[in-house]
Amino acid sequence: MEAETEHYWRGEPARPIANFLIPFPAVCFTLALLTDLAYWQTANLMWQNFSAWLLFVGEVVGGLALVVGIVELLTRKSLRATGPGWGYVILGAIILIVAFFNSLIHAGDGWTGVVPWGLALSAVTFVLVVVAAIVGRATTRRHPAGAHHHA
Amino acid sequence: MHDRPPFIRASLLAATCLAFAGSPATAQDGGSDFDISTQIGPAPVLPDPAQSLLPSMKVAEVIGWQNGQTPTVPEGLTITAYASDFANPRTVHTLPNGDVLVVQSRGPSGEPQNRPKDFIRGWIMAMAHGGGGEQKPSNIVTLLRDTNRDGKVDERHDLLTGLNSPFGIAWADDTLYVAATDAILSYPYKLGQTEITAEPKVLTPLPGGPIDHHWTKDLALSPDGKYLYASVGSNSNIVENGLEAEKGRAAIWQVDRQTGASRVFASGLRNPNGLTFNPESGELYAVVNERDELGPNLVPDYMTSVKEGAFYGWPWSYYGQHVDPRVHPPRPDMVEKAIPPDYALSSHVAALGLTFSYGSALPDRYAHGAFIGEHGSWNRSFFNGYRVVYVPFENGKPTGKAQDVVTGFLDGDEAHGRPVGVGIDGTGALLVADDAGNTVWRIAAANGDVTPRPIGTDGQRLPGTSAQQGSAPTGGNNAGAAEEPRGAPAGSNNGGAATPGVVTPGGGQGTTGGQQPRGDAEAPAASTDEQLTGEAPAAPATGDTQEPSQTEIAPATLPQGAGETGATAPNGPQ
Repeated sequence: MEAETEHYWRGEPARPIANFLIPFPAVCFTLALLTDLAYWQTANLMWQNFSAWLLFVGEVVGGLALVVGIVELLTRKSLRATGPGWGYVILGAIILIVAFFNSLIHAGDGWTGVVPWGLALSAVTFVLVVVAAIVGRATTRRHPAGAHHHA
Repeated sequence: MHDRPPFIRASLLAATCLAFAGSPATAQDGGSDFDISTQIGPAPVLPDPAQSLLPSMKVAEVIGWQNGQTPTVPEGLTITAYASDFANPRTVHTLPNGDVLVVQSRGPSGEPQNRPKDFIRGWIMAMAHGGGGEQKPSNIVTLLRDTNRDGKVDERHDLLTGLNSPFGIAWADDTLYVAATDAILSYPYKLGQTEITAEPKVLTPLPGGPIDHHWTKDLALSPDGKYLYASVGSNSNIVENGLEAEKGRAAIWQVDRQTGASRVFASGLRNPNGLTFNPESGELYAVVNERDELGPNLVPDYMTSVKEGAFYGWPWSYYGQHVDPRVHPPRPDMVEKAIPPDYALSSHVAALGLTFSYGSALPDRYAHGAFIGEHGSWNRSFFNGYRVVYVPFENGKPTGKAQDVVTGFLDGDEAHGRPVGVGIDGTGALLVADDAGNTVWRIAAANGDVTPRPIGTDGQRLPGTSAQQGSAPTGGNNAGAAEEPRGAPAGSNNGGAATPGVVTPGGGQGTTGGQQPRGDAEAPAASTDEQLTGEAPAAPATGDTQEPSQTEIAPATLPQGAGETGATAPNGPQ
């Protein structure tokens, strides 16, 4: 048992903690696009409130992920070698800034809190999230831990 | 929300609080060269709506009045503290014998918070409050008596306590009417009494909580004494709580004083207050707070005569037919009906009090017009309002520019107080309720003139003091004696309203689509229970049928005897 743990720590680079946080903004911003579309189609206020909360949670956890990710990149050499690196961080920051402006638009009262600019920014955020996912996958040179230590 | 009183102690510069936004798009009205005086008068200049990412905000920190400090008044007037040590005095009402009732009130709590915005705003406001402390009990009606009519209060009695956010007061036929936020209550009360022990009756319920955004319900008595008029503000800035929450709101109700039967008298008035009859023309007047977050110079708050059955635009349009794009779905049919109000007071001044000066003992230049209490702005980067203005009237219509009468509430970025309700006291002087400064101010003619007899706020005089005795400086005999019906906008063609329990929506022409499904129209999905019982709902009416505005729907009156609304606890804990 002890040997195994030692092996784990020595041989496999631990998964970056930021990776556990990044799915939150990705999922929240994706759902926010769907709830915005639902509001656009139904004018049911529930969807507008949903969007506002999804954006809010996405930004809070996304902001945390960004900070943790930066700290990890700075302190762990191995991550710089294997992970997607600074480009990914910058993309994440851009997504959060767009989402923040989107939140301000969503804080407006009534229909124009979503249509058209809130909906448009939600779509832009979603596209950026997809781009980030592709970039993240393409630039990760090898799988970090996880799958390996079962073998 | 400039008209939402819970802010009174707030002090903040959201621009700085939210500076982390760091966005160049942060809207500011500073630096713009818009002349705000062009928005005072019958035909205000209306710029294009400017929705910004962050609404500009500036609320003064309340510092109160030190001993001897007073607001300032122009030459020819003097100002003194009539009474102080209140907890949020909001309205003043003079009874026909000259006693003054002061309504102290705080807004109800418990409005559901739906969005992150609500929480963040609440958090900023709590920061600005600087951490509460024990609040003095409010929601009290206090009687002030000036026995020798020298302009000083000789007796003070708390008449009613533990009310549910009261605001409006009216008195007729030995009955005192108090508009709590959820009902008009009636108390047996003879003039001169200094306490009320009887339990109130609910004359009519009013739209209260749990969502009770604009909670101040003002009251006026019709000149013929038959009806009460109650103002019911909207339940949101611009229907962000849904149209369903606006039933019977943004409206002025006409309530039969005998039966409590009520109907919507006029609608589309976002947050009406200061209900009072113009003693010269006999028309009902109100001041109205218009919507926020369309930019610093939209939409001007206004004073208007309230026409029966009229629709003034909220929420679909403002100032006549200027469509508000934030409301969906649009209602061109309602916009078409909307009429512009009479007199703009400039944007975001938050006018909450209105009284006519006819029959007062103030100098001649204030003899024919109206005083308006402007609580003050939040939704712009410099202050607007925080004063009492005088609007001169000619031939029963407001004319000319508003003049500052009581100023000096502001001191830099801080406020000593904020004016709300205004009224004429039993000696013909102007009273101003200052809710943030916890004081009622008395503004009198510097030469010490007083009226020969008290005139009640609703124009009543004591029997035996006929109008001829009113050798008041001006128009004493125009002050609307109670026994003299005039104009009577609450006229005789309101058969429906006079019938107990019958509620007729005012203004709405057609009926809704009815129960018949339309063959070719798209039928909406049936709800679960409808599917179970095989009853599909009707398709929405298309095109030719007119639906009344939600705001024209007045809840039915409770039958006599069943007049207990659970939420109204006149003597409950508060």
